[in-house]
Amino acid sequence: MHRFLTIAMLVGAASAAVDTQAQWVHYPTAGIPRTKDGKPNLYASTPRTPDGKPDLSGIWEANREGGTGVSFTGGQLPPLFTNIGAQLKGGLPYSAWGRDLFNSRLADNSKDSPDAKCLPIGILWLHSHISPRKILQLPGLVVILYERFTQFRQIFTDGRPLPADPEPSFFGYSSGKWEGDTLVVKTIGFRDDLWADFAGSPLTQYATVTERFRRPNYGNLDIELTVDDPKAYTTPWTVKLNQRILLDTELLEFICVDNEKTLPHMVGK
Amino acid sequence: MLDRIILASALLAAVPASAQWFKVETPGTPRTADGKPNLSAPTPRGPDGKPSLNGIWQMNGKYLQNIAADMKPGEVPYQPWTEQLFNSRQNGAGGRQDPAARCIPGMPKLDALPYPFKIIESPGMVMMLFEGFTTFRQIFTDGRELPKDPNPTWFGYSVGKWEGDDWVVNTIGIKESTWLDNAGRPHSDALHLVERFQRHDFGHMDILLTIDDPKAYTKPWTVKEDVRLIPDTELLEYVCVENEKDYGHLIGK
Repeated sequence: MHRFLTIAMLVGAASAAVDTQAQWVHYPTAGIPRTKDGKPNLYASTPRTPDGKPDLSGIWEANREGGTGVSFTGGQLPPLFTNIGAQLKGGLPYSAWGRDLFNSRLADNSKDSPDAKCLPIGILWLHSHISPRKILQLPGLVVILYERFTQFRQIFTDGRPLPADPEPSFFGYSSGKWEGDTLVVKTIGFRDDLWADFAGSPLTQYATVTERFRRPNYGNLDIELTVDDPKAYTTPWTVKLNQRILLDTELLEFICVDNEKTLPHMVGK
Repeated sequence: MLDRIILASALLAAVPASAQWFKVETPGTPRTADGKPNLSAPTPRGPDGKPSLNGIWQMNGKYLQNIAADMKPGEVPYQPWTEQLFNSRQNGAGGRQDPAARCIPGMPKLDALPYPFKIIESPGMVMMLFEGFTTFRQIFTDGRELPKDPNPTWFGYSVGKWEGDDWVVNTIGIKESTWLDNAGRPHSDALHLVERFQRHDFGHMDILLTIDDPKAYTKPWTVKEDVRLIPDTELLEYVCVENEKDYGHLIGK
């Protein structure tokens, strides 16, 4: 755990180049349901789009309750940030290859972490990242705008099939469809060298990730993640996380490579 | 100059060639009798009667290299210090000063990258998703004012509104270290960009870009950049910092 803290400080140093003051940072969010005393009613009913589906749109922040570890700002890290398998009895079901890779990343002090190199960290780790993200749900498309590194992800909901032989990428290729009030997103086409969490749990080109997004009320977004990656894990595994709505604010600009000083200080082989 | 362009092109060339849904029919595309996209079909319009700007677009690449490509010599109204700085950057001499060489995207070059970008209109905000750098701009259309004293950022702060059939985007708060083009034209912290999006038909759009920067230029000046629609495709993933080898070869302080 001590190692995590050290790394958290290093990564924090990379991440700390964020401007603290910003654009319309106190700009009011439109259409907030309120309680009698005028406070936002986070338990109000789920907003819906004209077609009757839950509207996932909003700025969301990873729920830190139950998390372990401390971020560079002193706040608690979200539960799955350091170890995406923390909820699983006995931990992640690594294959022999997956365990070796994970252990080598640990032994190498996370020197090759994509976070330290200003590379995309991938869709799994991003769900528990401390930077907010904005979801926009549009006809045929859901876009996630990540404050972290000012990057985006597209989830197609126009019924297109997943590509047969995709070019490997950090974000993968995502296609989603509604099952009742749950948006079920399947993603394939990952690179072979991804990190599913801060500690370095692997994710490979053989992975299919299934995300089940559910907005049970105004203020909460529940995401269930199933990872089926026969190269890195012996069986598929499922974990859950929660995000909370972030009101009256806006994403800041976060450019990792601007004045980046961390990488030369990373040690390892 | 040429060196600089070649280096910048090398930097920007690290894109995978095959990809995600590379051929995917864009719904709502007007087509000719033989099934090809009809790029000269009329401008699509939204329920409010305004032109819809939705689509995947790509700017004529010459404006990234030289924002004044269509201007005559002597027409760019430099202040003396800007002209001097611009001249000092010629023949690659300023290569290391360009933030884009360090994989930092910034305005206004972001719009001019030779990679597609996708415009998506949503209530109160228009998104521009850029294949280059896998990054995005948010342009607010909910009536908010520009911030009074914004913290400088690489992309600045943008609001958009309609003036007739022109969509007019005002942007301020851009860090003064970004370049207007690869040729090295500078700007100051007083830069106010006005982008006037004019979609002429289904497949063609102009962006009239006005550089209003009294510290750097003696008067506002405007360039017209042509943008074409790229039908039946999708954005690829582009990550500049991955395996980046160019910066070490750039010269200059």
